[in-house]
Amino acid sequence: MRIALVGFVLRRVHHNLWQLFWTHVLTCGTVAMTLFVFGAFMLVEINLTHLLKDWGEQIQLTAYLAKKLEPAALQALLKRVETLPEVERVRHISQEQAWRDFQSALGAQSSLLEGLPRDVLPASLEISLKPARHDGTVVQQLAQRLKEEKAITIVDYPQEWVEGLELIVLAVEWAKWIFGGVLFLATFFIVGSTVKLAMLARQAEVEIMQLVGASEELIQAPFVLEGMIQGVVGGAVALALLWVGYLSLKNETTSLAGFLAPLGQIQFLDWQNIALLLVIGWLLGATASVISLRRFLKTWNSSRGER
Amino acid sequence: MIQLFHVSKTYLPNYRALTDISLEVKRGEFVFLGGPSGAGKSTLLKLLFRQEEPSEGQILIDGKNVTRLPSRQVAQLRRKIGLIFQEFKLLPDLTVLNNVALAAEVIGISKKVSRAKAYQLLRELGLKERYDSKPLSLSGGEQQRVAIARALVNEPMLVLADEPTGNLDAEVAEETMRLLFKIRDKGATIVVATHDLNLINRYGTRVILLQRGALADDLKLASWQENGK
Repeated sequence: MRIALVGFVLRRVHHNLWQLFWTHVLTCGTVAMTLFVFGAFMLVEINLTHLLKDWGEQIQLTAYLAKKLEPAALQALLKRVETLPEVERVRHISQEQAWRDFQSALGAQSSLLEGLPRDVLPASLEISLKPARHDGTVVQQLAQRLKEEKAITIVDYPQEWVEGLELIVLAVEWAKWIFGGVLFLATFFIVGSTVKLAMLARQAEVEIMQLVGASEELIQAPFVLEGMIQGVVGGAVALALLWVGYLSLKNETTSLAGFLAPLGQIQFLDWQNIALLLVIGWLLGATASVISLRRFLKTWNSSRGER
Repeated sequence: MIQLFHVSKTYLPNYRALTDISLEVKRGEFVFLGGPSGAGKSTLLKLLFRQEEPSEGQILIDGKNVTRLPSRQVAQLRRKIGLIFQEFKLLPDLTVLNNVALAAEVIGISKKVSRAKAYQLLRELGLKERYDSKPLSLSGGEQQRVAIARALVNEPMLVLADEPTGNLDAEVAEETMRLLFKIRDKGATIVVATHDLNLINRYGTRVILLQRGALADDLKLASWQENGK
């Protein structure tokens, strides 16, 4: 397209955006709401995945030992476990240590333990895994291998809990596409209707442009560009709303402690996701306007005998 | 410039607007396309600037068969044709100057050059003082002159005018016709569709008469020009 035509298209877009200003604002608002909901799902998904990773990295296996284990047998067992490829560190908790830990955990209620023998709690091994070895199957296989040791009676690990969280992340991802899909479809029709309204408002102009020899591309370009602008502006507004939502949520969660502490470090969308949201807005605006425009022009032209 | 070979046009389901039209208009010729309302004059013009396609037959404009042009080439064809309508077809929210310049801008001429060409034409047509006005503030004759300026801004080789004087009083109609003859004198071919017998008889130029969608013979033409029947 020649530079003069680019200038012409831009002038038409500027004129048209002002002519139907509030219609365009409403359409941008609809695009923004759709992308906001989609972006919110993205945020939840990203942070749940982050949380899962964080918790996963803290997974420890606890192997409870049989009573009266000879020191030599214990040393041999520690050595065997330490040399396993998945294992980062092994810590032996003696019966005495377990008793003290339990006592301090009970705090003021530690008197409840009076009268109980000090060797009531079993000794155990606390096993930390190497990074990138937190995969559910790997943990399960390791637990199985540990159970084969005669000196180990029970192996405990929070696998079910982690798997449950994985399921939640999966559900969020699905919900993102299902809700997003329905909203995209609705927005698609709304953007298309705005283009139709714009076409109706400029029917006379389009007819004259056709009669004086304007190409179809030139006639359609301002409408498509307007659709794209609506999509990108809608995307930008959605991102701004998400940012505000993110900041207020971050303020609320910084004071969380314990296993909820990672929630205090919630993350915003990374640049790839920001770009994705803007591209989705852009594509939504462009495709909705192209399809709506083609359909409208086809019906309109054939009603006037134009081919 | 214009050649039609056995052209017919039927509108669905079964209305025959034109039947077996064959004719030729030479370059630089001024032709009236006459006939009563409903004779098929506007349909014939629409076929020439390819707003519609003929159901049968072939149409050549400047040696090029335009019968089934793809839309990209329809736009190219129309750049060589200036169109003038009874109802002017001006955009009310654009100034007179911008209405004329629009036709040049859409074919890729820069805004500056388009406006300069439009201004020059408006000056030639005596509308220099009104270039910044909106069309609806102009008289019918002035609006038609703006429409003529728009038709001429891309220096067309062919001008098609559909009842150009239909909304004008006799004096302004006369002036409009004088303008069209001036354009012919500069080398363009002019086809004016009109049902106005007085207008046709006043200029003594070639007349193609359509009656019920068919070309009338010389006898019918003479009778029509004499009695209006």
